[in-house]
Amino acid sequence: MRVLAIDTALAVCAVAVLDTERPGMSVRESVPMVRGHAEALMPMIARVMDVANLDFAELDRIAVTTGPGSFTGLRVGIAAARGIALAASRPSVGLSTLAAYAAPQIAKDDTIPVVTAIDARHDQVYIQIFGPGGRTLVPPRVASILDAVRAAAVGPVRIVGSAAGLLAAAWPAGIAAPSLVETHPAPDIDWVARLGAAAAGPVTPKPLYLKAADAQPQDAYGLPRR
Amino acid sequence: MIVLGIETTCDETAAALVERFDDGRGRILSNIVLSQTEEHAAFGGVVPEIAARAHVEALDGIIAAAMKQAGVTFKSIDAVAAAAGPGLIGGVMVGLTTAKAISMVSEKPLIGINHLEAHALTARLLNPTPFPYILFLASGGHTQIVAVRGVGDYVRLGTTVDDAIGEAFDKTAKLLGLGYPGGPQVEQEALQGNAARFRLPRPMQGRKEPDFSLSGLKTALRLEAERIAPLNNQDVADLCASFQQAVGDVVIDRLRAGMRVFRERYGAPTALVTAGGVAANQSIRKVLNRVAFEAGTVLVAPPMELCTDNGAMIAWAGCERLVLGLIDTLDVNARARWPLDEVTGVQPTNARS
Repeated sequence: MRVLAIDTALAVCAVAVLDTERPGMSVRESVPMVRGHAEALMPMIARVMDVANLDFAELDRIAVTTGPGSFTGLRVGIAAARGIALAASRPSVGLSTLAAYAAPQIAKDDTIPVVTAIDARHDQVYIQIFGPGGRTLVPPRVASILDAVRAAAVGPVRIVGSAAGLLAAAWPAGIAAPSLVETHPAPDIDWVARLGAAAAGPVTPKPLYLKAADAQPQDAYGLPRR
Repeated sequence: MIVLGIETTCDETAAALVERFDDGRGRILSNIVLSQTEEHAAFGGVVPEIAARAHVEALDGIIAAAMKQAGVTFKSIDAVAAAAGPGLIGGVMVGLTTAKAISMVSEKPLIGINHLEAHALTARLLNPTPFPYILFLASGGHTQIVAVRGVGDYVRLGTTVDDAIGEAFDKTAKLLGLGYPGGPQVEQEALQGNAARFRLPRPMQGRKEPDFSLSGLKTALRLEAERIAPLNNQDVADLCASFQQAVGDVVIDRLRAGMRVFRERYGAPTALVTAGGVAANQSIRKVLNRVAFEAGTVLVAPPMELCTDNGAMIAWAGCERLVLGLIDTLDVNARARWPLDEVTGVQPTNARS
């Protein structure tokens, strides 16, 4: 299966092409960036496809991270993936950044739980906890760092994600320290591609914001009427 | 040539296919607009994050529907155009990124369109309207008088220094409890009202520069309304009528000033062209006809579905630019702010050093 993978949800702009029938074959580009994904992404996809020597029509899937992450960033990735899917008539699939961060650790050892924590700013994190066999123990949600630590510090765990260090720093005394703390600005794009290939079936990627839009409905407005 | 146009700068998710013939005439093959009005109604105005969320969910489906309705494929079109600004940046990025993806995959030129330029050129889609003409663009987000001298050659003669006209209508409706969007409701109420009952100011009246100011008028209306509150139905109708009359007077005076400036600089305009949702208001429309008649020119008012935000105007502007070879690269950026004066066209060859 040939997969084009895209990730612009966090502080990296990354693109990879994976061909599962040609082990070891992977073309990728990954550049740390806080902003500018919208300008950098499309030329990057064009370069990676060029090096991989593939036409868009030859892809079996377009995989993209759907968040949680920067609202603007994840929309850029999803708009790109859905636009390519539409124009090339190829299916697309969405993966959460939480799952993509956890995947390599679960693949290494699926007995010790993996906690993914992504910085949501304002002392909050997006969190998901994967138990034995990669099953979800705590589903994706946004939580204060304190609440996240409370949920995570129940036994031996590994922590990954952009906020892994934040969680480890707030770890309570008396609970076994995490056996692994790995802070990366974004998930490994190769794993986004692998998860995209392994996903059960193509489903149109939709944003996973986990936070409501910052807007308050208006109170009854207007001047009093008789 | 056939161009796909994508519009996502505010609260409409829109896509269209437009064909341009060699003689310069245009034809709309499809024009699909999904309005988000309901999503924003509870907030009394457009919420940028809610708009961006709605665009990314809907846009690919809207484009697919427009392609199908037009009976074209990505292989058979000649270019992909998308509004690259000005507007709410989250939504602009969704539309522009989608356009880039389609352009890259189908190997068709990408054209980033200034949303205001699209409004400025729409009149030419259905009527042969030669340059130069004077444009009155009035919507919820913009109020401008522009000299349209050619594709990519626009001079803003005047603009609002505070609120847009459509915005002033919406705020009036909000104050009077008429719901959102308020323009049509204010117009409806005004039909039963006495426009002479309240004395409201005509800001900028008599100024030589054709600029607008609406916030003083809005404040004066609020003070009058507060003075007599609680309001009965007739009060509301009278307030709406007085407000609409004041706006009409402002538009006449400011457009006359705009006409004077235009004539001094560029001679007689071939037409007074309207764009934006405000021209849907029948009393404003009358005013525009009067100004055009006085100036010895004609009013060109595209049908309302082309005056409000839509994909066809983006596709048409794409046609006009593509004919001149004005295309963009895949790294073109979305712009929240992008004054019309900064849009460029074909550079004169003698400008080369």
